[in-house]
Amino acid sequence: MTTVHNKTLSEKSHKRRDFDPWSLIARYGAIALLIAMIVVFATTLPAFATFGNAVNILDQIALPAVVAMGLTIVLSTGEFDLSVGYQTSLAGVICVGLMQNQGWPIPLALAATILAMAAIGAVNGLLVAYFGIPSLVATLGVGTVVVGLNFAYTKGVPISLSDPTAFVNLSLGRLLGLPLPVFLMLGVAVVLWVMLNRTSVGLSAQAVGGNAEAARLSGIPVKRVRLLVFIIASLCCAVAGFFLASRTGGGSTNAGDGFLLSAFAAAFFGSAVLRDGKFHIVGTLIGVLTVGVAFNAMAIAGSDTSLQYLFQGALLIVGVGVGVLARRRSLA
Amino acid sequence: MSAASRSAVDAPAAVQATSLCKSFGGVPALRDASLTLRPGTVHALVGANGAGKSTFVKILAGLEKPDAGEVKVRGERVIIATPDRARQLGLNFIHQELNLVPRFTVLQNMALGYSLPTRAGLVSWSAVRRRARSVLARFDSSLSLDADVSTLSVSDRWMTSLGRSLMHEPQAIAMDEPTASFTVEEAERLYGVIHTLTSSGVGVLYISHRLDEVLELSDEITVFRNGEVVGRHHRGDLDRTELTESIVGRRVRDLRHYQSEAIGISSDHHPAEAHPPVLSAQNLKAGKRVVNATFDLRRGEILGIAGLVGSGRTELARALAGADPLTSGSMLLDGRTYSPHSPRDAIARGVALVPEERRSEALVLDESIDFNINLATMRQNRMRRWAPLLSPSRARSAAREYVDSLSIKSASTKQDVAHLSGGNQQKVVLARFLRTNPRVLILDEPTVGVDVGARAEIYELVKSQTSRGTAVLLISSDFEELEICDRVAVMREGRITTILPANKAGTNTLTALCYHHEEEQ
Repeated sequence: MTTVHNKTLSEKSHKRRDFDPWSLIARYGAIALLIAMIVVFATTLPAFATFGNAVNILDQIALPAVVAMGLTIVLSTGEFDLSVGYQTSLAGVICVGLMQNQGWPIPLALAATILAMAAIGAVNGLLVAYFGIPSLVATLGVGTVVVGLNFAYTKGVPISLSDPTAFVNLSLGRLLGLPLPVFLMLGVAVVLWVMLNRTSVGLSAQAVGGNAEAARLSGIPVKRVRLLVFIIASLCCAVAGFFLASRTGGGSTNAGDGFLLSAFAAAFFGSAVLRDGKFHIVGTLIGVLTVGVAFNAMAIAGSDTSLQYLFQGALLIVGVGVGVLARRRSLA
Repeated sequence: MSAASRSAVDAPAAVQATSLCKSFGGVPALRDASLTLRPGTVHALVGANGAGKSTFVKILAGLEKPDAGEVKVRGERVIIATPDRARQLGLNFIHQELNLVPRFTVLQNMALGYSLPTRAGLVSWSAVRRRARSVLARFDSSLSLDADVSTLSVSDRWMTSLGRSLMHEPQAIAMDEPTASFTVEEAERLYGVIHTLTSSGVGVLYISHRLDEVLELSDEITVFRNGEVVGRHHRGDLDRTELTESIVGRRVRDLRHYQSEAIGISSDHHPAEAHPPVLSAQNLKAGKRVVNATFDLRRGEILGIAGLVGSGRTELARALAGADPLTSGSMLLDGRTYSPHSPRDAIARGVALVPEERRSEALVLDESIDFNINLATMRQNRMRRWAPLLSPSRARSAAREYVDSLSIKSASTKQDVAHLSGGNQQKVVLARFLRTNPRVLILDEPTVGVDVGARAEIYELVKSQTSRGTAVLLISSDFEELEICDRVAVMREGRITTILPANKAGTNTLTALCYHHEEEQ
């Protein structure tokens, strides 16, 4: 025992960590990759390096980013939420349906959508925190139920607004030359960053993710925290689904399903950024941006859609792999 | 048993260990320990906590490498480098943690590690089942092979574990405290099984704190004290008092004498009597391990809790701090009813527990010193009382304050706690709970894995807390550590049996009291 302790005396080990190449690769590799991609694309693709395209990329990643950041909060507690994509789809369908079928005004439809999604998040949270069902299984089950609800409501047919102008203008609208969804993304980023790093709820979530029993014995209400993070993820799905529907002025049954993979890829890739293997908002944003830049370049270059999936899958694996390696090294 | 053991005297020893030595970080845990286990006999290992029994068994199990000495199995010199090697040699170990797979059936658990018979490349479960059935038939077990082990009682699980050992036709089986959580009937059943085993020539190494059962069962008894073998006895050589004396290493006169004296003194002369109790517990019962605990804890006092491993000390601490539910009994905290539903409740009422397992129960290892110190008191770092925003600079300065006052050695409060030494890690945990301003501070084995220097600092810290009026409950297996206490309660088999004033709570007395569990009934 004592020999081990002598060897890992504080200052020494602190220094050693800074020189750990894996840790360096993990911390700055992702950013380096992003910068390298931007440089390469800017020099090879003339249409890439324009202000308009930059705005376009930001607009493209805004909604996936919102879902990914919500997911990040869940991941920080050590849980998974596999239902985020389906929830995003359902959110779009519900708000359009309420406007079209019930004739509700936009704010009221949005409020109802937010409440409905919060309820679904609460179901996820209750199953995981209070019934002890592993989150992977619970959220997969709830996600499947959500798909069922979606089809029951729409009969599988997309709902379109007869007069979509006001609704569509939400997505088309610009402020200071930037589309509104970009402001939404930034707003959610600020709120969630502050919550995760500057409130006791967020720090509790991180403690639960780091060592749930230690958190409990330190007086943290572990169950309540778990419940809350699932509700937060669902709220993100609600606003993302709302804006996604406003892009087309209609609710499609599977419009947001793809957000599941992009959110996981971004969050895991981002977890390796700057902080060894811990999920955090800035990392997730960098992850989303990396995916967005790559997709955009692929689209400009006219490459096959299959490449997009290959890239996203690879990113997820690299993110997890580097994160795991960095963590193992730093705890060794 | 006797016929088998007599004929076995001439046969080569099942296991013969000669002059085993082992030290950890320069501290000897085992010195020159020798022992011979003959086939068909029960050989008991007894000794206080930390006397060297477990180190000895771990060497045989291939879990520790001896620094010196040799082991012979059936007369042949062997090196047991891994647990797998031990099993190949026919040495089986049933530890207190049974290592069963909870969702598996009895049969599946018994088949683990057994080289499964195959037919045409597929496991022949009917052959495994036949083998398992014949094994269980040997000890007349009523176990169903298809029962899920998570539905079984502790003793049935234990029998499953034993069944797994017997799949290999072992030479020797070591049993570590098998009856610690058995009822009387279950223990009787075990004694029958042990008899069956020895009649078939298996040597049994029996580790137990229950001296009556040791005297009843064993053909031979080896006594460990401070890492050395201090006594070898045969059946009928000695009685309970002599065995206790051998373990304690000193003449033990009349134990009841100590008790009555203790009670007399503690109620008349103790200075802390002037204070009313902060925490007063009546007939506490929690889970299976805490049977009956009654005590008062006074302002500014350090109350020690001595007891053997498994006596229910940790479980008592956890129940006091709301970590586990109380089955029955009542508590008063500052004269008001206290029944915590969670650690959160307990901390809010001013009861804080520094848990036994630093790494798994206290620290968030990949977070900073700063984060870990503030974990229980984040609300104190709010920028404004009414807003949920926390001030990182407040958190940092709080952490820095504790790092300075407890002299936690670190480069900065941003450093991860994973790389701190045991002593510094423990100080971080202490700082976390001190910041909750506890009225009652419960310390469960606070200096395990902590070096001597930091240990002294932790004692100083505890003392200075009491001078501010905090009441401290100190659980320790290191009875010398309990010297800092004002009074020491002895816990035995889930009961607080005695409370001694400091001047009566010597190491020998405590050890004797921890073992003494029959006479008073």
